[in-house]
Amino acid sequence: MLASQDKNTEYEENTTTETKKTGDSVYKVDQLNLWYGEDQALKNIELDIPEREVTAIIGPSGCGKSTFIKTLNRLTEMIPSVKTSGGIYYRSQDIFDKKYKVEQLRTKVGMVFQNPNPFPKSIYENIVYGPKIHGIKDKKVLDEIVESSLKGAALWEEVKDDLKRNAFGLSGGQQQRLCIARCLAIEPDVLLMDEPTSALDPISTLKIEELVQELKKNYSIIIVTHNMQQAGRISDNTAFFLNGEVVEYDRTDKIFSSPDDKRTEDYISGRFG
Amino acid sequence: MGVRGTYEQELLQLKADIFSMGEDVIAAFRQALNLLNNPDEEEMNVLIERDSDINGIELRIHDDATMMIARQQPVATDLRTTIVAMKVSSDLERVADLAVDIVKAAKRMEQNSNEDEIKAILEMADVAEEMLREALTAYQNRDLMRAQRIATLDDTVDQKYKHYIQSLFTLSDETNAGQTTQLAFIGRYVERIADYATNLAEWIVYESNGKHFDLN
Repeated sequence: MLASQDKNTEYEENTTTETKKTGDSVYKVDQLNLWYGEDQALKNIELDIPEREVTAIIGPSGCGKSTFIKTLNRLTEMIPSVKTSGGIYYRSQDIFDKKYKVEQLRTKVGMVFQNPNPFPKSIYENIVYGPKIHGIKDKKVLDEIVESSLKGAALWEEVKDDLKRNAFGLSGGQQQRLCIARCLAIEPDVLLMDEPTSALDPISTLKIEELVQELKKNYSIIIVTHNMQQAGRISDNTAFFLNGEVVEYDRTDKIFSSPDDKRTEDYISGRFG
Repeated sequence: MGVRGTYEQELLQLKADIFSMGEDVIAAFRQALNLLNNPDEEEMNVLIERDSDINGIELRIHDDATMMIARQQPVATDLRTTIVAMKVSSDLERVADLAVDIVKAAKRMEQNSNEDEIKAILEMADVAEEMLREALTAYQNRDLMRAQRIATLDDTVDQKYKHYIQSLFTLSDETNAGQTTQLAFIGRYVERIADYATNLAEWIVYESNGKHFDLN
């Protein structure tokens, strides 16, 4: 073309500005190693997880992603054969520090699992269970917590007329949102989600995904998912785990358009896993 | 066959369809130049009518690529390959349109005149044709070095076009204004074809590494 064009210069600039957001980190993971007996499941994990964003952990079965997310709220230490080295710092606090109580951590870090696991109680009782343990007895306060938690989990409109109904009577997708509401009731800082939609139908899955987008305004979310399209749709950052290592960790836009590592590209484009 | 063997076959087929379309487009361009040199009314009309075939191929490639996006949800290189297939087929279709424009302008010209100008056009067109061939080969092999060399050839075409237009209007007067206008159009069409070949090279770079480079 004879005339010069500026548009491509602009494109180049756009590409180079696609760098990691430098907000505060909610978690800093430093040289984390974890063994189940003799088997090493996590190897030298180094991750900074930004606050109020969605960070997806992806990777094939057995790559260590579920182990990793469980380690973030010390669920793995209940397994006797587990030993760890390195550090995990939640808001600059070493979560492995003996003085740091696990209850204190889990008040700030809620977790949602693959299969919805409501208590065999009413919807209302499911939500107020945590706050009651924390000493809240005022019925009016508890009512407010129930309403705000269910609204936060986009379930209020569907259940508000029958809060005494047994939680087991809800659909799978509703049960999972109830579990999210139960987490929100204790006003956490972080939500850990371990494959939260893999047991749900497509519409319930999309509802949870939409909810995650709402929740990230107030919470930092870390989600393990087998569904790569889901990671692409809802996350801001993506870490690709393989054989216990982080192969690549970057903005999701970068991971799903031009990943640096061929193993990442092969995985996200379905060449293995 | 790998985990996504069927899909990989579809991607290969898409690229093969583009290559085949590119060969048809180059053949149309070459024939337009031959008809400029040796006008034949009947063959000119055939070439104009056949443009709809190339338009049809472009639409089919777009449909195939759209279906692949809908059904396979490609990401990263796979996604760029699919998007670039649409972009490249559109640019090739425009080249075919310009070949038709050359023939239509040739039909409006007086015959057996302006041998020097037609010779200059053909020289420029030889370079443009080489660019198209290089682009197709680079596309097939994801050959970035070859793609970048096309930019150098485009500079040659631009220089030739500049000299051609200058000499054309130096010699023109009111008695041959119509003829001069058609010759200027044809020169411009050839120069635009070279630009499209450069666009193809830019898409080849993008397909390979996701980066936009201005090779013009």
